[in-house]
Amino acid sequence: MRILPLVLLSLLAACGSKPAAPTPVGGADPAAKPKLAFVTNCVAEFWTIGKHGVEAAAKQFDCDVTVHMPPKNTVSEQQQILQDLIARGTKGIAVSPIDPSNMTGLLDDIAARATVVTHDSDAPASKRLAYIGMDNYEAGRLCGKLIVEAVPQGGPIVILVGNLDQDNARRRRQGIIDELLGRSMDPTRFDAQDAKLKGDKFEIRATFTDQTDHPKCKATAQDALTRWNDLACMVGLFEYEPPLILEAVQSAGRLGKVAMVAFDENEQTLQGILDGHIHGTVVQNPYEYGFQSVALLNKLVREPDATKRAALLPKDGFLNIPARQIRKDNVRAFWDDLKQKTGKK
Amino acid sequence: MKKILGIAALLVVIALTTTWLSWDASSQSYTFLSGYNLQNLLQRIGMFGVLSIAAAFVIVTGGIDLSIGSVVCVAGCMLPWLLRDHGVPPLIAMPLVLLLCAAIGLWHGLLIVGLGLQPFVVTLCGLLLYRGVMRAFTGDQTMGLGGTADELRWLATGRIPITESFGLPAPLLVLALVAVVTSIFWTRTVAGRHLFALGRNEEAARFAGVATGRLTVLAYVLCSLLAGLGGCLFVLDVNSAQASSFGNFYELYAIAGAVLGGVALRGGEGMVLGVVLGACLMQLLQNTINLVADSNQLEFAVVGAVILAGAAVDEGVRRFFRRRR
Amino acid sequence: MASDAPLLEVAGISKAFPGVQALSSVDFVLHRGEVVALIGENGAGKSTLMKVLAGVHRPDAGLLRLLGQAVELRGPADALARGIALIHQELSLCDNLTVAAAVYLGAELRKGPFLRERAMQHGARAVLAQVGLHVDPRQLVATLSPGQKQLLEIGRALRAEARVLIMDEPTSSLTQVEAERLFEVTDELRRRGVGIVYISHRLGEVSRLADRVVGLRDGRNSGEIPGREATHERMVSLMVGRTLSQEQRPSHSPGEVVLRVRGVRTAAFPEACVDFEVRSGEVVGIAGLLGSGRSELLRALFGADRALAGQIEVGGVPLQRHGPAAAAAAGLVLAPEDRKLQGLVLGMSVRDNLSLPTLHRRGRFIDRAYERDLCARSIAELGIRTAGGGQVVGSLSGGNQQKVVLGKWLAANPKVLVLDEPTRGVDVGARAEIYARLHELAGAGLAVLFVSSELEEVLSLADRVLVLNHGRIAGELPRARLSEETIMMLATGMEVA
Repeated sequence: MRILPLVLLSLLAACGSKPAAPTPVGGADPAAKPKLAFVTNCVAEFWTIGKHGVEAAAKQFDCDVTVHMPPKNTVSEQQQILQDLIARGTKGIAVSPIDPSNMTGLLDDIAARATVVTHDSDAPASKRLAYIGMDNYEAGRLCGKLIVEAVPQGGPIVILVGNLDQDNARRRRQGIIDELLGRSMDPTRFDAQDAKLKGDKFEIRATFTDQTDHPKCKATAQDALTRWNDLACMVGLFEYEPPLILEAVQSAGRLGKVAMVAFDENEQTLQGILDGHIHGTVVQNPYEYGFQSVALLNKLVREPDATKRAALLPKDGFLNIPARQIRKDNVRAFWDDLKQKTGKK
Repeated sequence: MKKILGIAALLVVIALTTTWLSWDASSQSYTFLSGYNLQNLLQRIGMFGVLSIAAAFVIVTGGIDLSIGSVVCVAGCMLPWLLRDHGVPPLIAMPLVLLLCAAIGLWHGLLIVGLGLQPFVVTLCGLLLYRGVMRAFTGDQTMGLGGTADELRWLATGRIPITESFGLPAPLLVLALVAVVTSIFWTRTVAGRHLFALGRNEEAARFAGVATGRLTVLAYVLCSLLAGLGGCLFVLDVNSAQASSFGNFYELYAIAGAVLGGVALRGGEGMVLGVVLGACLMQLLQNTINLVADSNQLEFAVVGAVILAGAAVDEGVRRFFRRRR
Repeated sequence: MASDAPLLEVAGISKAFPGVQALSSVDFVLHRGEVVALIGENGAGKSTLMKVLAGVHRPDAGLLRLLGQAVELRGPADALARGIALIHQELSLCDNLTVAAAVYLGAELRKGPFLRERAMQHGARAVLAQVGLHVDPRQLVATLSPGQKQLLEIGRALRAEARVLIMDEPTSSLTQVEAERLFEVTDELRRRGVGIVYISHRLGEVSRLADRVVGLRDGRNSGEIPGREATHERMVSLMVGRTLSQEQRPSHSPGEVVLRVRGVRTAAFPEACVDFEVRSGEVVGIAGLLGSGRSELLRALFGADRALAGQIEVGGVPLQRHGPAAAAAAGLVLAPEDRKLQGLVLGMSVRDNLSLPTLHRRGRFIDRAYERDLCARSIAELGIRTAGGGQVVGSLSGGNQQKVVLGKWLAANPKVLVLDEPTRGVDVGARAEIYARLHELAGAGLAVLFVSSELEEVLSLADRVLVLNHGRIAGELPRARLSEETIMMLATGMEVA
């Protein structure tokens, strides 16, 4: 008990007196292979692509990276993964926080013991050093633009989403809504799930969640089609949703009447775009998330000097990996590239 | 018979209420009654009904199977694995998957009868075990059919056209077949009689020369086999399965359907028709919420509340009549 | 005024259930220090009356007076609070409690939220001493013998300061010695002014104990006899309304050996080896004290428990496979001791129970015609009183349930019929019918082997008796040498000259 303050004091003194000395803070040793980790928010094909990016970067920069996917998509699970990583002596962690606003304390705690960056979904209030990903709100607005292209005359639309307590899902949805209602850019806005949302042209009839249960997603899409026979467009925000929406619309015999817009690059979604049933999709670049996360962590962990380290960070702590719109005209090229990256070709 | 009157009445009340609430002014029709909706609803009833009958098989023996959802996951992941990753022909792949699921049931039965472990413990561990194994086995990849089973998918998505807008969904026919065979098994065969006798009083059944051990094992085998069949239908319907979420919680839907339909948890009581009605009620409620509510946030709450209210009213009515007698 | 009023007066009590008038205008009186025996066949209304007295049922009409005061019992707890205690037929004590906890169950001594274990142990020891039960209050109820449990129940009633004790078939699961002990306690309670309503089928006990005998028939009073004049014949005629002729016991002519038991050892007495034979047309009784391994032996023969060693031959063929199914297939069947747990599936119908062991012989599918025939035949031949084959077997009286057990096994055409306590909980009328049926079956060449705790039953039924002591056959008594004395001597380990 009495020794602890002394140790702390001497440590502080050491830091203060010789700021430029290569002190192995956090045990960083430039020669050794750094131990890094890439933590996702769920299990998905999407993250398999991300994993390929991670592996490519690990090879290129010569570091050990483990990939962790919490199967149940819960905060407690993710917390356990993060704490276990610290216990194992992991030096750098890139994480996609499941519930950022409620994980600040946890992330700060982890950030005190290792180098932490966020990817895919940000936690701006925490002490993470940087965020690598796209702005989900902007991606949502891109998706909104696709909807406007698909149904220029407007009409009622329905949004399907796995669950709405995830920050990226909320912001994507908000981007779509704001774009369709012609509102200003304001990523902090949030409309409740059952809010009545109607603009000049577009009306957001409903947002349905399915807890990532695939049969339930299909049932929800079918029931929405039953309930409203004037739907102009349906949007699926999670990777598995657009193909199931496509099946529901197909079996309802309403292809051509109900337009569809998607998120992510499920094979069947891409096929749907090729076939002309789905107007387009907004894709992120999970490969780059993985690659850039590892690249940045690698640099940070190998750099013992704090001031030099700060200089390594991207501007505003945000490394933008922009979302892209995929339509019928560029889907072929995108798909070929994707197959190459996932090694499926 | 009396036991299923309550659930039948509840079903009718909810169906009528839903119909009434589903009036669509623009098309001047009740959307609930549209051919499209009815065939969707019946299709879901077909798939979940098979699971409820699976659950009922072990509940009538006085046991329980909590692993149904995970067995659904096993079937849902293994079928695409065989079809797409190994190019096994559909007519061989599906029996293989069913065989695997039956083997899981056999394993349960042997642990319960042979080692005397509690069904709750065995199948709860199964719930964790099989999902975990499938996640590792698939490496958390989505297992997609990828167009390798378009003929087989008819089992899940096929329709037998009746009118222009309505066709009987194939899963309903699967359920009808399973239900009829099960009903004959339960009420017409000696083994069925023995199954119910041992569910009510295992010791007396054993003293009457009934092979109670073998029958109990059979019940678990059939339960897992039917859960596997359900799993195949689900994956054929949605085209892909993800080991971490596929079939999650389905054992509870299955058990709820069976118990709502009058299958007593203490064993030895139940009718197939009741089980089917129970499964109907579960799916109808989900449909109602999607057709009527502004968002589906309250879904679980509504399902829970209606079932609880139904059970309370059912018990109340029964007590009222008992007192009158 | 209160002092000369009777302790309990039952005046014009009526109670109806759907379809049955269980009691119509029943009267009787119980004085302090008196034992009134209530007799009647099953279904005569005894148990309904008992439940009215214990506050379980409310009467439709009539009055109960306690010491001259009209009372309305609002439930069993209320009855107990007023000093009326029911000693159950099925020992209802919780086996997993300690003796002290059982004595004070529902009225625990406490200090705030905490139990006063010491005080309860002390109190239990004192109250149990009054009934002559000297056990450690800390031991578990499960470790007591049935007789000790019965005394414990009485002790519990005394703890509640009961003035009226209702004893329902108190000796049905007791040995002779334990029953004797119970009678002494009953006499002692009577001396201390407790009023006792005593319900029993065992007429010997009734004439031994009762000050007055009250008969019930079809829910009505059928007469009353002072205890001194209560002969067997008078009591039977009070119950059945006619005199049962004491039929001459038919003599059987044994044929060839159909059951041969060689070197069988059971888990209860691993060192005791049992050998015996039973011939066709012979009725063999097995007697012995409770715990002498009688039931264990029968269960091992039937394959319900695994025998440690030995060979069992039925009709000259050794049993190869183990288990009830194999035994039944070979022609050896068992009507077990515990009818409710092992004998019948209580929740199923009479018909389904009757066909349960033999249905599989008629093919894979249920042969409804066979079931109907079997049911109709059994009901007629055995005289099963039921509303129909569809009636739930659990709602029948004990005697009729036992007839269903017999019926289901007779349908299997057995060579050897084994019965464990064939008439436990069965009333006099049905008992006579079952005896007659067994004699008839033996006459037709069936071998009958039975265990009974009632010496009377052993004496009247058996051609030959095997007496067990600590799992061994202590001796064999032919009919000519049968008497209560010879059986008891062998059972307690003495030599018989």
